[in-house]
Amino acid sequence: MAEPFPDPIQMTLAIMTSPLFLKIAIFPGLTSIAIIAALLTWLDRKITARVQLRIGPQYVSPLGGILQSFADLIKLAFKELPLPEKADKFFFVMAPVFGMVLAGGLMGLIPFSHETLISNLEIGLPVFLAFVTLSPTLVLLAGWSANSKYPFIGGLRSLFQQTAYEIPLWLSAIGVVMLAGTFNLEKIVLAQSKGWFIVPQALGALLFLITSVAEQERIPFDLPEAEPEVIMGWQAEYTGFFFLAAQGAGFIKLYAFSALFATLYLGGYLGPGPLPPLFWSLLKTIGIVVAVILLRGTFGRVRIDQLLRAGWTILLGLALVNIVITYFIVVGFPTI
Amino acid sequence: MVAEGIPEIVYYLGFVTVSTIGLVVVLLLLISPKDPRPTPEKHAAFESGQIAAGRGRTRFIVQYYPYLLMFVVYDVVAMFLFAWAVNLRALGAPGTIPILVFMAVLLTPLAYALRLANKPENW
Repeated sequence: MAEPFPDPIQMTLAIMTSPLFLKIAIFPGLTSIAIIAALLTWLDRKITARVQLRIGPQYVSPLGGILQSFADLIKLAFKELPLPEKADKFFFVMAPVFGMVLAGGLMGLIPFSHETLISNLEIGLPVFLAFVTLSPTLVLLAGWSANSKYPFIGGLRSLFQQTAYEIPLWLSAIGVVMLAGTFNLEKIVLAQSKGWFIVPQALGALLFLITSVAEQERIPFDLPEAEPEVIMGWQAEYTGFFFLAAQGAGFIKLYAFSALFATLYLGGYLGPGPLPPLFWSLLKTIGIVVAVILLRGTFGRVRIDQLLRAGWTILLGLALVNIVITYFIVVGFPTI
Repeated sequence: MVAEGIPEIVYYLGFVTVSTIGLVVVLLLLISPKDPRPTPEKHAAFESGQIAAGRGRTRFIVQYYPYLLMFVVYDVVAMFLFAWAVNLRALGAPGTIPILVFMAVLLTPLAYALRLANKPENW
């Protein structure tokens, strides 16, 4: 190259103040994901406590214990990390770490507003679902590599659970693709400027919510980590930071799936009034998060055979019915 | 543009991967305390306080194996439906006939497989 080599300090500064780096590192990227996941942990504990007529965390900070999860985070970071001697240590350590990376990677695809969108992929929705499909494989890897009974049973349960919800999840998202005619998540948002897709896609939205809760391994579908049955399942051997990564990935997924639900069915960042788009997308996301947390306080756990039968008969059947309904909407009313 | 957004997502995933693994390395090497004389129980497998016995990788759950087989086939089928759905407006009603034949051919064996898989006496 003929140009002189640029000054490294200048170059670092230029990279660190570029909009892409700020999006990747601050919002909607890494820093905000960590903070929001910690706040969602607090919200989850607090709302579940309210449902069960308890108070929940209250001592750390005057504001209803809102810093409790940050205190837990520091506590877990300073714990000893004993690895089981029979475990396959490399995969045992890497499975929760890559689970967290995959969950965080989901946020790169969500359009919180036109400015705060990291990657405007033309195939955003299938890529999102492909990332999601990988995570039960990591759970199985974690359970297998721990070489212990409870994690192994939890990993297998995760595999069977995936077979039940994965196809209904994909098929319920197809209705949105049929209406919008694109995989691009931002174009899906813009296609809803005339009306949110939750109206023609009421059945699809319900199915998507149910199957996405199953994907997040939350009650009533928390079979792979059911505490009273398999003692946290695939997470049983994890302590300290690895436990934090396993739990944190679940909350990041809760955040990402709620944001995706808002994007697909509730018009994403579109909203009335002079308020910024970011406000609307975050408001809708938090609304879905609260609904999913309330599910946890309301329902009991399903059995694995119930989940498999319901997934393969009721959920799959309703997803196909939803595709037929959407087909007649698209063909019958081409102007929508 | 089909390639739009690919560099950004690659940078993002790279950044997240590097920072998470960096955090793990820092924690493992610098922050987390080391036990100089660990007891054997500390590194044993967890079995609710019992001494771990037998193999860690116990028997597989085989009752639901038919569902796994069906999943391997029909997860791919869902992808074909995506390809049809995104072009639905361009294809219109005539473009539906091939997908109807496709679904009829694939869903008939699915119904039979489900009937067998849902029978507890076959487990």
